[in-house]
Amino acid sequence: MAAAAKVGTAVKRWATGDRLLAAGKARAASTQWFFAGAVLLASGVSADTYSLVVSGLGGEPGYEQRFSEQAEKIAAASRNLTGSEATTTLLTGAKADRESVRRELRSLAAKAGPDDEVIITLIGHGTFDGEQYRFNLPGPDLTAAELGTLFDALRARRQLIVNATSASGAVVDSWKREQRLVITATKSGGERTATRFAEHWVSALTSLEADTNKDDIITATEAFEYATRKVTESFKSDALLATEHSRLSGENAGRFQVARMGTAARVTSDPAMNEMYAQRVRIERELDAVKERKASMVVDAYYDELEGVLVRLAQLQRQIDAKQPAGRE
Amino acid sequence: MRALLSTIPVVCFLALPLASLAQSIDYDPRRPDELKSCDDHEYRGREGDAQECYTRVLNGPYTAVTRAEAAWRLGDLQRANRLFRDAVRGNQRLIHARVRWARLFVETHQYADAQTLLREALELSPSDVYGRLALAHLYAERFDGQAKAIVEQVLGEDDRNYEAHLLAARMLLEEGQLDEADASLDRAAKSTPDGLPPLELYSARATLDLARGRDSATMVKNTWVTRALNYNPRYGMVFDDLAHFEVMRRRYREATPLLRKAIEVQPDLWSAHADLGANLLRQGQIEEARQHLQTAYSGDPYSPTIVNTLRLLDRVDEVDVSSNKFTLPASGETASTDVEILLRLNRKEAGALHPYVLELARDSVITFSRRYGYRPTEPLTVELYPNHDDFAVRVAALPGIGLLGVTFGPLVVMDSPSGRASGDFHWGTTLWHEMAHVFTLSMTDNRVPRWLSEGVSVFEEWRTGPVPGVVVPPEAIAALRAKKFLSVADLDSGFIRPQYPDQVQVSYMQAGLICLFIEQRWGFEQLPVLLRQFNREISTKDAIEATFKVPVKEFDEQFDAFVRQRYSTALARFDEWQRAATLARKSVEGEQWQAVIDSARTAIAIFPEDIASDSPYLLLAKSLDKTGQREQAIDALTRYRQAGGWDPHALRQLAEWLEAAGQSMAATEALAAVNYGDPLNSQQHLKLGEQWLEAGRAEDSLREFEVLLALDAHDPATAHFGMARAFRAQGDLQASRRHLLDALETAPHYKPAQSLLLQMIEERQE
Repeated sequence: MAAAAKVGTAVKRWATGDRLLAAGKARAASTQWFFAGAVLLASGVSADTYSLVVSGLGGEPGYEQRFSEQAEKIAAASRNLTGSEATTTLLTGAKADRESVRRELRSLAAKAGPDDEVIITLIGHGTFDGEQYRFNLPGPDLTAAELGTLFDALRARRQLIVNATSASGAVVDSWKREQRLVITATKSGGERTATRFAEHWVSALTSLEADTNKDDIITATEAFEYATRKVTESFKSDALLATEHSRLSGENAGRFQVARMGTAARVTSDPAMNEMYAQRVRIERELDAVKERKASMVVDAYYDELEGVLVRLAQLQRQIDAKQPAGRE
Repeated sequence: MRALLSTIPVVCFLALPLASLAQSIDYDPRRPDELKSCDDHEYRGREGDAQECYTRVLNGPYTAVTRAEAAWRLGDLQRANRLFRDAVRGNQRLIHARVRWARLFVETHQYADAQTLLREALELSPSDVYGRLALAHLYAERFDGQAKAIVEQVLGEDDRNYEAHLLAARMLLEEGQLDEADASLDRAAKSTPDGLPPLELYSARATLDLARGRDSATMVKNTWVTRALNYNPRYGMVFDDLAHFEVMRRRYREATPLLRKAIEVQPDLWSAHADLGANLLRQGQIEEARQHLQTAYSGDPYSPTIVNTLRLLDRVDEVDVSSNKFTLPASGETASTDVEILLRLNRKEAGALHPYVLELARDSVITFSRRYGYRPTEPLTVELYPNHDDFAVRVAALPGIGLLGVTFGPLVVMDSPSGRASGDFHWGTTLWHEMAHVFTLSMTDNRVPRWLSEGVSVFEEWRTGPVPGVVVPPEAIAALRAKKFLSVADLDSGFIRPQYPDQVQVSYMQAGLICLFIEQRWGFEQLPVLLRQFNREISTKDAIEATFKVPVKEFDEQFDAFVRQRYSTALARFDEWQRAATLARKSVEGEQWQAVIDSARTAIAIFPEDIASDSPYLLLAKSLDKTGQREQAIDALTRYRQAGGWDPHALRQLAEWLEAAGQSMAATEALAAVNYGDPLNSQQHLKLGEQWLEAGRAEDSLREFEVLLALDAHDPATAHFGMARAFRAQGDLQASRRHLLDALETAPHYKPAQSLLLQMIEERQE
């Protein structure tokens, strides 16, 4: 457990946004993996990720069913991410009324500490009358201002709010906070047509297509870019003018995990395995260091050095894989 | 009347210098007498005197219409517009004022507004001759067949109408009906009204001389040009008209000196600056083109064509230009020839399109050089535009036109596949078609008539293009059935001034079928012989008779018999085909699969060339698959492809079915064909890269992964890993290592790449 605790400490440091957050963009890709492995190992020890998924009023059976199914898939991905049933809450259908949403958000504010992470996903229809955004729920709606107040009460410093509803772009400015990521399906309140974003956000969280760096972990950046690209392609394929343009507001989305798959989703308490994970973290740091020096190196020397580190990483991965069932090939 | 007036938008004009816009001569006898002495100065090129005279009229005690005309001639278009509007408001039944006001709108390129005014005028007085002629001019500008009918009607009522004869002659010249144009000009000469200048008659005569084979370089000394300049030394329009005719014949190089001469004679002839700018663009002289377009804009800020082209030029840095050279080997007495192909592709998609565009362009040069015995003598340029409106601006300076590709001598300009929805057009066939034009235009010094150039291009699509197969749409069969095919001698008019909605498309098909007929009747080698007849000025009739030794009438009859024989089943059972095709479509909607199968099979048996988006082949394949007959469904899609079908969704489906049936190579080939219809699909390149690699075709695999890398910035690791394996298969271990490390640099935990890295290290140590 010593190794686990040690790695967990590193996670907390990173999660709270100190020294490591200052690192350049290039190092993000591999440190994400490190973070993933570390959180898995440290699960329940230090930082937790809490998730609330709400599917609002569909208005008609087709939308009702679609929104519920999407919410369920996102909730399942969240459980996979956190490794725990208890940290994920799903509100759909009649249960997703204004009071329930308020209650769950207050509960989250109480449960999630400053070092924890919170992911809130809103699916369904939204409206914007030029002044006020409303998330459509059975019974009274919730306004952007009400939701914003509830979000501000959360103690978790790292927050991701995904508003996949129509007109969701209207909330970006009012919900923006330091260390909070806000993703919306539309660029403004004026994009009022039912959105396609949620469908592709679900795909990003449940398949490996969005995983561009092949580490079995989907970050908010990867999921956002994937969903955005798929939305664009779907309008183009239908030869329609796009009626939604997603937005991402906030920093370090590349370090905010939203899904894990394959080996990254497995939890282990084997000390030998933990030692290998820790060793992998160290190699990844070396890799980051080499990549950061790329601009100042002769090309051949850079590739020679890169190869050396990558070979060690690959050899270690082979050992890890030999000790556990295979992940993605 | 208010309602009528309310249809005319308020137009803000700016004052412009005298003669800034090319105003046509007003032949309407209703022109106010007060203007006539001023007009005489104007028509004679006495600019100062004209200006003084018009200013006097403008400030004098004359009607609003008279003063509007004076303001117009002085270049104060805003005031002219206001005066015309006041005149029409003051007397809602004014006809002549509306006609002239409409002409003012034409001059400022506001054709819709001009048309509205003319309709109002003709509602008030349907027989107004000059209102009708103004409308005919408007139609003629847009090559609308309605122009001819109006002119014929006017001349039917009065065979001495000078302006009508001039307009008729101009249209006949554009269609290459030279003898008829000559006769029209003779009649115009006999009807010249007293006191009006013969400048447009001289200009048309000069154009006729040019059309009859005079060298454009000698036109400066042409009798009619001399007469025009003697009458008015500032009459640059005579050269602009000659250049227009050369452009109509795609003789862009010859048009340029004529336009320069027009500007020399009349430096403020803005239309000539604009035409010269557009023409220089066609020849790739971008900077000088920009200068002339800017000059044109300074004098004619109303022209959307000028503004759009300048805006497009402002974005020239979005284009990636690559020079690609190769050598055509020596053949017979012809020495080897170096050919250069310049590709101008949008930076965003250049990497993805370059391999396929270059491959097709190069193949087309090799193919057409061999078939037509001609080799390009100058660099060829291919431009693809991802934004269709940019393409439209590039070719006609107006967005919203429905073309796919255009050839200006050695320059091909076309839509990029990204410019249209998937399945909208087959870019590979379009490029092949346009490249055939490069040859037919070059080898005849641009003299080839439109029908033959289009015919050869369509024929080559069928015979040698990326989607071989003679494809004739049902509209052409319907036209054949209705006896709407034209004599070969008149076929150009089907392209230039169509008389019914589908006529341009039908004319393309007829032209292609004529080439097919020549191949079948006299052998392919006679097609280049016919083309070479146009090395000199010759009519289609004379060229046909000289090549095939039959009168054109007999040629037409033989062609008619050929085409009716070829489509005998479709012609005889056309109604039955329509019923079967319609039933198949309807049955699909109702998921009545057996009904679809029966009716689609009937439709295919009658007319197997229908490969449209709702082709019976596609309906048949879907229904067979739905009823568990996958093998027959594959056969239906295979036959669709063999008939010339290229729908990307259908071919992907075919590839998937073939793959599932264990026919990997056929599946890969079907999928590879999609690249020439819909190449911007990353999954397709990934799949092809893997499949070619598995099939041992590393070079093809590498191309697919390279395109994937250019196309999919989202996932470079997969593309680099594919390239690493393709290079490895080719034995290039150094490049393989580099791309493998690139893949792992992006995705360090990419396990297949890690495995290959370890394998590579182990091999190195052995």
